[in-house]
Amino acid sequence: MSAPSSPDTRAVSIQACKHCGTGAPVDAHFCPQCEKILTVSRHGDYFTFFGLARKLRIDPAELERRFRGLSRQFHPDYFYNAAPAERLASLERASYLNDAYRTLRQPLDRVEYLLRIEGLLPKDRREQVLGTPPSLLEEVFAFNEELDAIRQARAAGAPADELRERLDDARRPIEARRDEHERRLDQLMTEWDRGVDAGVPPAGRRATLEALRALLLERTYINNLLATVAREQAV
Amino acid sequence: MSRVVGIDLGTTNSLVAHVINGRPTVIRDESGDGLLPSIVSVDAAGTVFVGREAERRLLSDPSRTVYSVKRFMGRGAEDVGAEAAFFPFAVSGEQGGVVGIGLGARVFAPPEISAFILKELKRRAEAFFAQSGDIDPDVDRAVITVPAYFNDAQRTATRDAGRLAGLEVLRINNEPTAASLAYGLDRRREGTIAVYDLGGGTFDISILRVEEGVFQVLATNGDTHLGGDDIDQLLVSMVLEEAGGALGGNAEAVQVIRRAVIEAKWDLSERESTEIRVGDIESVPGFAWRRPITRAEFESIVRPVIERTIGPCRQALDDAGLTPQMVDEVVLVGGSTRVPLVRRTVAELFGRAPQADLNPDEVVALGAALQADILVTGNRNMLLLDVTPLSLGIETVGGVTSKIIFRNSPVPAGGSEMFTTFVDNQTAVDIHVLQGERELVADNRSLARFKLGGIPPMPAGLPRIQVRFQIDADGILSVGARELRTGIEQVIEVKPSYGLTDGEVERMLLESFEHAEEDMEARFLIDARNEADRVLRATEKVLRDPDLPAASEELGPGELPAIEAAVADLKRVIRGADRAAIEAGMARLNDVTRHLAEIMMNRSIKAALAGRQIDTVQPEGR
Repeated sequence: MSAPSSPDTRAVSIQACKHCGTGAPVDAHFCPQCEKILTVSRHGDYFTFFGLARKLRIDPAELERRFRGLSRQFHPDYFYNAAPAERLASLERASYLNDAYRTLRQPLDRVEYLLRIEGLLPKDRREQVLGTPPSLLEEVFAFNEELDAIRQARAAGAPADELRERLDDARRPIEARRDEHERRLDQLMTEWDRGVDAGVPPAGRRATLEALRALLLERTYINNLLATVAREQAV
Repeated sequence: MSRVVGIDLGTTNSLVAHVINGRPTVIRDESGDGLLPSIVSVDAAGTVFVGREAERRLLSDPSRTVYSVKRFMGRGAEDVGAEAAFFPFAVSGEQGGVVGIGLGARVFAPPEISAFILKELKRRAEAFFAQSGDIDPDVDRAVITVPAYFNDAQRTATRDAGRLAGLEVLRINNEPTAASLAYGLDRRREGTIAVYDLGGGTFDISILRVEEGVFQVLATNGDTHLGGDDIDQLLVSMVLEEAGGALGGNAEAVQVIRRAVIEAKWDLSERESTEIRVGDIESVPGFAWRRPITRAEFESIVRPVIERTIGPCRQALDDAGLTPQMVDEVVLVGGSTRVPLVRRTVAELFGRAPQADLNPDEVVALGAALQADILVTGNRNMLLLDVTPLSLGIETVGGVTSKIIFRNSPVPAGGSEMFTTFVDNQTAVDIHVLQGERELVADNRSLARFKLGGIPPMPAGLPRIQVRFQIDADGILSVGARELRTGIEQVIEVKPSYGLTDGEVERMLLESFEHAEEDMEARFLIDARNEADRVLRATEKVLRDPDLPAASEELGPGELPAIEAAVADLKRVIRGADRAAIEAGMARLNDVTRHLAEIMMNRSIKAALAGRQIDTVQPEGR
């Protein structure tokens, strides 16, 4: 590995083996000294666990290959005759592996996870950031007004064809927004990965993360709007 | 070293298997039978009968005999209300509690009944190992399989049953996944496979990817209340309706009819037509009823049951992100997949002919044995990676379920949730854990309620209690909690909604020791009855054969009546306690049927040869 390794590509924190006390790199799964399975470290993250750089593009076949390889190393099936502490460590490590696999497999979950570990979203995924993103205020206002009007028209007995057409019209700008988001997301992911590859210091990549964060929050909001239209159309 | 086995604890039949020289093998009883009917009977004296003997007692003492107990495992009284009326035994239990099964004066929890079946399999395996000259033939550890779609309560009930039978349960394995291991053993083939498992009482569909010896489940779905039992119930209802209402309330008659329709169902997997024959009802002397039935007629009756498997298959494919065309192989598991309509339905759904080269009754037990072997020997050639079939969540404000671990997550899986207090100095919080896919708490399965105690007194909203949920490789949940500000581990008392507490399991374990094993003579008698039963069934199958009238023209005068008489004689003595009489009756029946058996055999060989000639003329296959 090249000399000045950035924190993204090679974590240097140390964990200690509970069995013999020897220190181990944070991305190690087994103690380099006594070879016992290590308890899951609090300092690691899903990327280091998989031995992957903190990048947003992951080759799915490569992820699957690593998942199978790691499962073969510490699935509880292979620790049935081990000491209780090792059995527990294997259960926790396998469980962490499965969570990591599920998260990294989906590109959007991956982005969200990156934002959490980079400190741009709350650590607990349940603590949601509420409220309408400012960039969407105008459109949301117009959308809600039209939706109210459609509901009134329905109550007044407007023909179904007309209602459907109006709902389609209301949906179109939102869908256009979503498509634009997908393109922008793609660009930002590439931008982030390029920064990691070039060894740009974290402060220089902050702007990309913030743009990703704004995009992700808007995306959730847009999806909720589209779900609302779908519900109205089902009435 | 004591032995380990794999057990398929089925709705209709159970099996035990072990691995020898790397090959899984079903362990058979003294007469070569691998299947143990999952039927338990307890007579007035408190003696417990399991298997074929209990199956006979289903006719002679139906109210003290229980079958299909798997349908009651981990369930509450309100779940089984409508169905309970169909069973001859008493089903009790309070609203929101475990089901009770009354056999005479005693009431059993479903895991106790299942434990009797497991003990019988344990005994069978130990007898086999002792006979093979093992120094230590004891069987004290087992892998037991469950339907993939079983929830936490149903899995826990199965593990309790193992404990009650004196077995350390190494692993609770999913049936379709176990089957895939047995299928994968011989093939170095890799790819995506779908396992369609339609058993006696449950249906599962699992989609797996097999690569480098790793069997990874991508998605699973199913219905824990769909199987051969439902087919039988439809046919029984039809017979009751056609044969007159008088038999309806008669438990013995219902069981005789059930037996008769099952035999007809089996026939129709091999032939285009057969006959449902109801007779020999002790409580209704002289009653005899017959009805011809064709396969087409049978299929029109049972089609609704089989079509219920299509929705879960589509959902599983969708969850795995696959289309039917992306599946490389479809494997059939479970006795009900012998029904030709099932095979056609599967072939249509996946666009390819399904595989059934392993015995669909045995393949799950073989896989369980392989898994047991992996666990104790550390054999790393194969690895199963399974998923949790249902989402896990907790109740939040307004009776809404908040999901913590999503369905089809690989197991083991973990998840955590933060809680806090609503009033100052509150020291406990109630938590309600649920399983299911629906939004509202009322629509999901209640797993347990916890009281999270020992919270240090603090102003409302200040404590930060992290509750951690862990689903292990058995698919069973455990819970731990910690107050993050103080680091104090919390006390959690688990009250399972539809399960037994540890104390109850202990008590049942002690009680079971008090009921002694039957003596050797009773054992011999049971074996003789089992053998006689097999001979009777084989004979009766021939007597229902549409080819019989033609074949009997080759018989001498009086031969057919002699067979009928021998059948009746053997039926009379089989329920008695005279072993010599049963053995004599069996010998006589064997004698008088020999000529007919030869004739039938010759005719079928001729028919097969004739068939081959036709095949060579016509173009083959589709």
